[in-house]
Amino acid sequence: MQLNLSQEHPWLVIQPEITHLDAGNVKAFGDAMTPILQEHTHILFDMAQLEFLDSAGIGALIACLRTAKERQGDFRVCGLNRPVRTLFDLMRLHRVFEIHTNRAEALRSPAS
Amino acid sequence: MKALILAAGKGTRVMPLTQSCPKPMLRILDTPILELLIARLRDHGVNQIMINTAHHAEVIEQHFGDGRRFGVDIAYSFEGHLQDGKLVGDPIGSAGALQRIQAHSGFFDDTFMVVCGDAIIDLDITALVAAHHHHGALATLALQSVDPSLVSHYGVVALDEEGRVTQFQEKPTPEEALSNLVNTGIYVFEPAVLAHMPTELPCDLGSDVFPALAQQGEALYGVSLPMTWLDIGRREDFHRVCQLALCGEVPGMDLPGKEVAPGVRVGLNVRFNLNRCHVTGPVVIAGSATIEDGATLIGPTYIGPGAVVERGARVERSVVQAHARIGSHANLVDMVSDGRYCMVSDGTLIDLELADMPWLISDARLPRAERTAAEQRFISHMQ
Repeated sequence: MQLNLSQEHPWLVIQPEITHLDAGNVKAFGDAMTPILQEHTHILFDMAQLEFLDSAGIGALIACLRTAKERQGDFRVCGLNRPVRTLFDLMRLHRVFEIHTNRAEALRSPAS
Repeated sequence: MKALILAAGKGTRVMPLTQSCPKPMLRILDTPILELLIARLRDHGVNQIMINTAHHAEVIEQHFGDGRRFGVDIAYSFEGHLQDGKLVGDPIGSAGALQRIQAHSGFFDDTFMVVCGDAIIDLDITALVAAHHHHGALATLALQSVDPSLVSHYGVVALDEEGRVTQFQEKPTPEEALSNLVNTGIYVFEPAVLAHMPTELPCDLGSDVFPALAQQGEALYGVSLPMTWLDIGRREDFHRVCQLALCGEVPGMDLPGKEVAPGVRVGLNVRFNLNRCHVTGPVVIAGSATIEDGATLIGPTYIGPGAVVERGARVERSVVQAHARIGSHANLVDMVSDGRYCMVSDGTLIDLELADMPWLISDARLPRAERTAAEQRFISHMQ
């Protein structure tokens, strides 16, 4: 899976080149994320290109967040489109993730 | 007086609400829009009503039958055919519908009404008909002024000083629009208007007949009377109209159920302990619904018949349609949910079946799925 990475100290910004994160590609996503999560603790996940997530996709993001938190880091998300944002709100995931409108706003917010 | 109610539209812009029923049968707090409209017509002396049907025709015909239960006579003009045991709609347009009925029996033999079936109105129909006769009109359109930015959704009308329509523009851009007076889909016609309709089908009043009548200088009049006009043109209108209904602002509509606390109304056979839930009115809970202890309901909110709101769920300014199950982890704010889809008040739509989250929102009539180990892990991570 193609993940575009860029360093914005202290954040590693990840923008996946996929429109769907679901049961069909969640394993490939997890495999691609594992080495990154070993190396980096502060990750900003830019979802601007993601149009759809299912239960498996959200599960994978929660797993990333947990790994980052276990290592005193963070896994923020930004750029959610309206349907994805609606799903996050519906599941109260705004209590789980720090959600930002876009990358610039997320980078301005101080790291915990 | 006689009337034709137009009910053959597919309701594409309000999908998925119209997946299993035609738009006029959308239920506002469990009352179909069409039922409110028929009551309004009846109260103004309209007692013989034709309804043209196509998309989900059977839903309308089974609800209203011959109309006697609603104090009027009703018959249907079905625009479609039966194919492999299923009804398929072939709508022929509003003007086509009139022509087909007239060709069938010569039904329209005196001044009559034509009304779109997908709006709630409190128009003084008697006054509209009086204005029609006063002008000696061939056709009269009931008009409303709308915000100029919204004219592109409607037919826009330009009038002279006597109220005669000089120009009719179907869905113009705000720049092209000659006024902000729009066609509401409520008309009074003389039978002679039928002679002015093109015979080629489909044929529509708004795009094919009115512009030509205006251009030919026929006695086409527009009348703007004060009225509440709630049309369900787009998905988001449904949420808005339900909210108004819960606040008692929909004309002709009484709130269902019995008031058990200020602003909290409950139907029959509801399982609900007000003291063990967080409730702020106006809230209406329909018959056989279940509100589990520990649920939160913030008004204006409607819980439909047989629906279930689980412990811990929050439903705020939302509409839970019949038989939907709102799971413990759900946080429904400014939404409509039918157990599969969630529609936000701005029109955003999500499909919970596609998102594979039956534990979040589902149909209460489905066997309650055991949560898989993965789902269980997921839910515990969310907390």
